[in-house]
Amino acid sequence: MNKKVKQILTTNEIIVVYIIIALCILIGIVNPVFLGMSTAITLSRAMLITLIFAICEMVVIISGGIDVSFPAVACIAMYSTIRFVIAFGIESPIFAYGMVALIGLAFGALNAYLIAKIKLPPLIATLGVSSVANGATLAFLGTKEISNIPEKMDALSKVFLISYTNSQGITYQLTALILIPVSMIIVAYYVLKYTMLGRGIYAIGGDKNAARIAGFNVTRIQFIVYMSSGLFAGIGGLTYTILMRQASPQSLMGSEMMVIAAVVVGGTRITGGHGTVIGTILGVLLIAIVQNNLIMLGIPTHFQTFVVGLIIVIGTSITSLRAKKIANSAKV
Amino acid sequence: MCMADTFLKLDHVKKYFGGVKALKGVSLEVKCGEIHCLAGENGCGKSTLIKVISGAHNATEGEIYIEGKRIDKLTPIDSIRMGIQVIYQDFAVFPNLSVAENIAMNHALMTGAKKMKWKEARELALHAMEQIGAHMDPDILVERLSVANKQMVAICRAIINDAKLLILDEPTTALTANEVEKLNIIIRNLKEKGMAIVIVNHKLDEIYRIADRLTILRNGENVATGMIEEFDRARFVKCLTGHEVADDIYRPEYFEEEIVKVENLTKKGAFENVNFTLRKGDVLGITGLLGSGRGEIGDALFGLAPAETGTITLNGKKIEIRSVQDAMKYKIGYVPEDRLTQGLFMDRSICQNTVAASIGRYMEKTGLDHKKMKEVTWQWIKTIGCAASSSEAMMRTLSGGNAQKMVIAKWLNTEPSLLILNGPTVGVDVGSKADIHTILHELAKKGIGIMIISDDLNELIHNCNKLIIMKNGQTSGIIETGDMSEAELTGLLNSGM
Amino acid sequence: MEKSKKFFKEADKNTLALFGIALLIFALMGIFAPGSFLGIANLQGMCIQFPEYGILALGMMLAMISGGIDLSLVGIANFSSIIGSIVMIKTGGSGTSILLGIGAALIVGALCGTFNGFLIGYLRIPAMLVTLCGLQLYTGLGLAVTKGPALTGLPESYSLLANGAFFGIPIALLIFIMVFLIVAYILRATVYGQHVLYMGTNDIASKYSGIHNLKITITTYLIGGMLGAVSGILMASHYNSAKADYGSSYTLLTLLIVVLGGTAPEGGKGKVAGVAMAVIVLQLVSSAFNILRVNSFVKTFVWGLLLLAIMIITKVVESKKKE
Repeated sequence: MNKKVKQILTTNEIIVVYIIIALCILIGIVNPVFLGMSTAITLSRAMLITLIFAICEMVVIISGGIDVSFPAVACIAMYSTIRFVIAFGIESPIFAYGMVALIGLAFGALNAYLIAKIKLPPLIATLGVSSVANGATLAFLGTKEISNIPEKMDALSKVFLISYTNSQGITYQLTALILIPVSMIIVAYYVLKYTMLGRGIYAIGGDKNAARIAGFNVTRIQFIVYMSSGLFAGIGGLTYTILMRQASPQSLMGSEMMVIAAVVVGGTRITGGHGTVIGTILGVLLIAIVQNNLIMLGIPTHFQTFVVGLIIVIGTSITSLRAKKIANSAKV
Repeated sequence: MCMADTFLKLDHVKKYFGGVKALKGVSLEVKCGEIHCLAGENGCGKSTLIKVISGAHNATEGEIYIEGKRIDKLTPIDSIRMGIQVIYQDFAVFPNLSVAENIAMNHALMTGAKKMKWKEARELALHAMEQIGAHMDPDILVERLSVANKQMVAICRAIINDAKLLILDEPTTALTANEVEKLNIIIRNLKEKGMAIVIVNHKLDEIYRIADRLTILRNGENVATGMIEEFDRARFVKCLTGHEVADDIYRPEYFEEEIVKVENLTKKGAFENVNFTLRKGDVLGITGLLGSGRGEIGDALFGLAPAETGTITLNGKKIEIRSVQDAMKYKIGYVPEDRLTQGLFMDRSICQNTVAASIGRYMEKTGLDHKKMKEVTWQWIKTIGCAASSSEAMMRTLSGGNAQKMVIAKWLNTEPSLLILNGPTVGVDVGSKADIHTILHELAKKGIGIMIISDDLNELIHNCNKLIIMKNGQTSGIIETGDMSEAELTGLLNSGM
Repeated sequence: MEKSKKFFKEADKNTLALFGIALLIFALMGIFAPGSFLGIANLQGMCIQFPEYGILALGMMLAMISGGIDLSLVGIANFSSIIGSIVMIKTGGSGTSILLGIGAALIVGALCGTFNGFLIGYLRIPAMLVTLCGLQLYTGLGLAVTKGPALTGLPESYSLLANGAFFGIPIALLIFIMVFLIVAYILRATVYGQHVLYMGTNDIASKYSGIHNLKITITTYLIGGMLGAVSGILMASHYNSAKADYGSSYTLLTLLIVVLGGTAPEGGKGKVAGVAMAVIVLQLVSSAFNILRVNSFVKTFVWGLLLLAIMIITKVVESKKKE
């Protein structure tokens, strides 16, 4: 039993928890206000979009692949939808969400086709799709920022779950859109842990050939993985636009680094087969805390990219070294 | 379990791939409650046959009967549903999943479950382990298991699917002597329960210890079938290879010149106090069961996993080997065990393979001399008797025997003082095998130290005039082979020394 | 005659196909827009642009041959050019200070590359992950040093490097040709060049053949880092300033070039001539787009399509061959 406790206390997730606690104490000493409701609300909002993407990316990485096309897919799905609904005067948010989901799904299917059927390396396939999607957005849909979002959609950004006013009278509000990543987390957790589909995703990430022999339909699972990644990329893109109250065709480009970083820091092995929803949430949380509080720690903003880069390098080195240690350790 | 007397019957099964006849007509009968060994050299059609039985390949011609019923078209799913389970050499387990999940997963897939029931999986796994007498933590990840335990997981997985016929493809290649013994107990146990078992193996002594019946395949045909008692060594070898046992034995004249002297070589956990002297003309064999430390000595001398203490003297000079680069500097060559992954660059030309370890010699003032490399390669192809049309042909196009000759040529091109060969003739056809042995004898006579690490006792007896037997990292000291017989050597291997 | 026959026999089909495409573009553009396309100004303009990413592509090719990938090259290029520029500015902007700056940039590039190689070869972290992180890290370092905006005030004469010409031939082109020849020589005629091919084909067999994999890996990324620095020097000279996020589209572009040039993403195969040909083809297409006044974003779209198309064709051809 003692051994099991020790095992639990040294899992990847727990290590990230230690780091988060240490950071919180550090920031809390510098700025006591940090440890409060206001921070919780600010961080939740900061994590919202990253979480949507990170959950999908985690699933893709567990299955033994990688997807760097989601920012471009998110942008093209969101931007074309916004232009479409404005042009035709469609107000319904449900229609808009349906449309981004479909466009996202289509790009996801393209990724899946290239990876599962043509057997291209996932990085190169998704890089290519990313370039196609991004180029198409800018070349054929335009480069303008759109701020006249249809009213009913815009109204979504003003629905709040929690309102909190601190002693200085500043009000912090938690947007209801947080329910999107929250429900995704619940579904992903359930599917990955308690369905054969979820176990199949782990299985193909562990050994594709063994999965095929065992009777999994590897191609089908890969299609499901990449298509859901595309679907939620679209949904994430539209949610981002509603939150920001404007649509820009480039806004999310470049966020893939941060998302992959969060996933890997959360203990998902880049080589596939390992990863948990909890770990990914913690990874996203850690990076959000660092990004939002660098100034508080006396680190100037122009150091942000570097510090995040450093955290990723250290985080990935630790996960890789742990994997290496397990591989070299005595077998039982 | 098995309901009929004969579980599986193949009648003149043929399988052609285009023009290639992989199976030219195999008839095989496997009875319930028997252990049937299937032996044959590489390329005899064993794996094709397994794939036909498991439904992965469709037979071109011939009839298949399972439990007396004729099966027209066997698909992988049908095969599993009818109780046929194959345990492949790599076990096809998931390293990233727990023991319990690995065991239960196929069953869940078979029954078409949509949900993963962890508690059920755990119970199923414990039950299966109990049945075969394995003890493992069901929650541990399979990546942390030893090879033997991974195999246990694969067996557990097979038996919970109501296996009636269990096919094990070379199950003992990566097991230690103890583990083989344990596996044999489990297999006998399953046999008692009425399961039909097919074991693919080509090591005679292991077959004798487990088999009830034996079928030998050669060139896609079954050349002999019968009770194990009907086979003696000579018949076995003759059926397996199509040749009589060769009788030429290498026993060189005595030279004073010491080439290699190893004293008290120790690496903790691998081998201890290894001592030997290799004189000019000697071919030294190192043998022992898997896990005895036989391979580790080769790895240590080539610097892959250096020894911790002890001295090595090469041609009168004390040397220290801490890395592969050190070993190269002192002109030690190593023909590794796994030719395909360790020995060869399959997608490069024969020329590039031949000069891989000695490319520095072709550096001229203006750069590498590619023309000279090709000339040298062509010379090696001729001297070593490799059947290749050009030095530029891809390595992939060569047969196992010819490829192995080129691995040896790669090291000869470095002008080695000592050449260590780990399993030099594994998967090599009989003709090339004899060629390789002749080459080694000639090298030894020229004064190059030759060490053969092998578990092929026949090969060792015929080709080595000195032998070291390893057991649990301890050595027997040097044994002069003289006119030792294979039976005596087997006795030594399995005795307490 | 014999020699040219042999040349065509030995040059692989991929390179020849690219050569054909390049000729075709020349011919088409020569017919439709002879004035602007074949004009000296356009030709010179092309020659200034492609060395920047052409040199990066050579670094990418080396990494891919070794069985890895280097996504951090653009980051290294910018970071080293920033350090080089600072040295140039701090030492006064004279001729020697330019040399000092270039030297500093090369050293920084080599250091960044060594760091990549160490993480990949020694800690055995997948190259894709290391260099993806590296891109972030080096860009971050560049941002940290410059605080964001472009670093200006570089010596006037420095801009001649990318924009000047020597007997009518752009200096940038001469630099590219020189780097191209050096890399070609390294791959073909040095022990390292052969070892990296062996390692990329089968890294276990290379270990068992006495090849020092760690040394080869570090050398590969070190050379990559230095090539990145050379490209950074050219970029800084071209824009007469250094910035942390110049050339951010080059990562995809270099990947496209390398794959287009016949380098296998799984390692062990790659030709300098193919890469050079791919660079030229892409520059021709790019120039043709400019002259035909095609929206520049269409290029990104087309690059992506091209990358996918080439990969699909190679895969389909491969599987046909196997059958």
